[in-house]
Amino acid sequence: MASAGSGDEKAAAAAMITLISSDNEKFEVTEATATLSQTIRHMIEDGCTDGGVPLPNVTSKILARVIEYCKKHATAAAGEEGSSSSFSDAAFLEVDRAFLEELEEFDDAFLEVDRATLFDLILAANYLDIKGLLNLTCQKVADSVKGKTPEQIREMYNIVNDLTPEEEAEIRRETQWAFE
Amino acid sequence: MDLSEWRVAGIKRVQSFNGEDANTDAALKFTYESLNKSLPPPPATPDAPLAAAWSGAASGDGVDRISSLPDGILRNVVSRLPVKDAARTAALASRWRGLWRSTPLVFSDASLLPGCRADPLWRPRLEDTLGVANEVSDILAAHPGPFRCVQISCCYLDMTREDINAWLKLVADKGVQELAFINRPWPLDLPLPATIFRCTSLTRLHIGAWKLPDTAKLVRGVAFPHLHELFLSLITMKDRDLAFLLDRSPVLEVLTIIASQTDVRLCLVSRSLRCLQLGLSSLGDIRVADAPRLERLFLVDTNRPGGNKFSRIKIGKAPNLRMLGCLPPGLHELQIGNTIIDAGTKVSPSTIIPSVKILALQVHFEVRNEVERVPSILKCFPNVETLHILSVGVNKPTGKVNLKFWQEACPVECVQHVKKLVIHGFQGKKNEHAFIKFIGEAAEALEKMVVMVCFELASGNNDAKIMPFATVKWASKVIERMHFKLPRPPYQTPWGFQEAADVSCTDPFDLASAV
Repeated sequence: MASAGSGDEKAAAAAMITLISSDNEKFEVTEATATLSQTIRHMIEDGCTDGGVPLPNVTSKILARVIEYCKKHATAAAGEEGSSSSFSDAAFLEVDRAFLEELEEFDDAFLEVDRATLFDLILAANYLDIKGLLNLTCQKVADSVKGKTPEQIREMYNIVNDLTPEEEAEIRRETQWAFE
Repeated sequence: MDLSEWRVAGIKRVQSFNGEDANTDAALKFTYESLNKSLPPPPATPDAPLAAAWSGAASGDGVDRISSLPDGILRNVVSRLPVKDAARTAALASRWRGLWRSTPLVFSDASLLPGCRADPLWRPRLEDTLGVANEVSDILAAHPGPFRCVQISCCYLDMTREDINAWLKLVADKGVQELAFINRPWPLDLPLPATIFRCTSLTRLHIGAWKLPDTAKLVRGVAFPHLHELFLSLITMKDRDLAFLLDRSPVLEVLTIIASQTDVRLCLVSRSLRCLQLGLSSLGDIRVADAPRLERLFLVDTNRPGGNKFSRIKIGKAPNLRMLGCLPPGLHELQIGNTIIDAGTKVSPSTIIPSVKILALQVHFEVRNEVERVPSILKCFPNVETLHILSVGVNKPTGKVNLKFWQEACPVECVQHVKKLVIHGFQGKKNEHAFIKFIGEAAEALEKMVVMVCFELASGNNDAKIMPFATVKWASKVIERMHFKLPRPPYQTPWGFQEAADVSCTDPFDLASAV
């Protein structure tokens, strides 16, 4: 995958990290991109990234998507650092705003995936400890169940109701206000 | 329940609810805006490592993937739901039964009464808010805690006095960290139960439209040991009660008081406070006696108590004060150390605050004796880099002030570090010209000058009022021209109390001008 932006290229000269997916595919990324993952950041700090970072819990398909997310957002983080030093520059603020909008559009498009992929992304974000991606994907799930009845949610996500009728009645009684 | 009696009394009280009291309306808007901004995002799941991975088959295969996500992730999802949706997930399956109850509660009653938050001046029907109040009781009782954030802002709390005490006990017992407790006005001076002082786990507290309890009657040892942020809006309070709050909040960093229903008098002694904001309130004497960490002191649309006496802003020990404003020399006297800063006051080391880098002044340029105080004030802050001047017009001008006045009264040294000057509300008056020209020709370090023209000036052809600037002989080598900006619509009150207190906001006065 091509490097995303100018902030990225500067860091690229400094350090590249190799990530290895569960199906043994290798991905070269900049340190700035990789360290959006707290898990990898800690590995880098501990100096155990020589020879690549094996990620046995993440497939190449999902890792490629995660890297795509990190590249975009690493550029955003670099942009933020720049803005604090020249806050008073109106032109810069304009650019900043435009970039944030672009980032939002990117996130929306990024989430246009089937449910199985979405859950894989959640697990990967959780495992790699990428806060932004975890928040983004969990919010997507939350939005999908908002305003729905338990029956609708069960159908949507193939959840099997293993509660006895008595148990379910009890839950409904305990939190009656939630079902009105 | 018979509501007739209350309704009659209520209607009498809510007379001024809609637009008759501009100050209260503005305060309500600020209050609710700050609520909208302060609901915390759900916590990231702490249990990150090695969750497991299965590679994805296509959806529609009948596999229940969501239920095999780890608890931490499901709690993250549940915490993002409005409270009713969140609680209903318990009925999905046994896997889900305990999740909501074991997710720290983030609850705003605004989710129960849509529209309440969007329009601060909207009065929901009494019957509607009764239902909300009952649900608040149910929710606070149903969730075992901890309560991460609870916002109650949609109910007429006068109706539910017995509930209020019960609610406060519940949130206290369940370890509430962030609490917004706004009495949907009216009445404005409903007594806040002293039970609030049982919420010792609080880190942020916003109370609105209450009368503070008489703290003299409280048991000794009462305190908010973890409170970082305190927001008081539309509060009726005695000086000693405010002092008590400050005294019993040993780690308080941000104190914001808006639309106080009583004059605010304060003697600040705090080892922790970093930001003090006083807005839309009438100020008696405000004394910053000893505040070693104070960085920001903001006065926003403040006034002085009735009568003609100036109230005083006294600054004693505040060695880290970086941002100060908007000081209105026409309303409040500035005192530094033991010296009142007046026209012609001689500066001495004891009247200088070298740490201030951003200074904002509100000046009636056509009131001669007010303008005469400005050079003295500027001399007290010799290291100011950003100077904001809010120019306010008057009906009866009381004297001309020309360029020569500034040149004589204001040595070049006192503006030698000014890199940026922003004039807000420029009306094109000669007295304003004189000041702007003076800064342009005296400030050697000036990099940027922005003139925000006032609404009236922006709407006509007023080139003549801008022409005098063509002849400015810039003292600075880097500045080329001044920038003119059009104002925002006048009904937008631009100060962001939430943003201004945030350390990442480098110049809150810029937010106001969108510079």
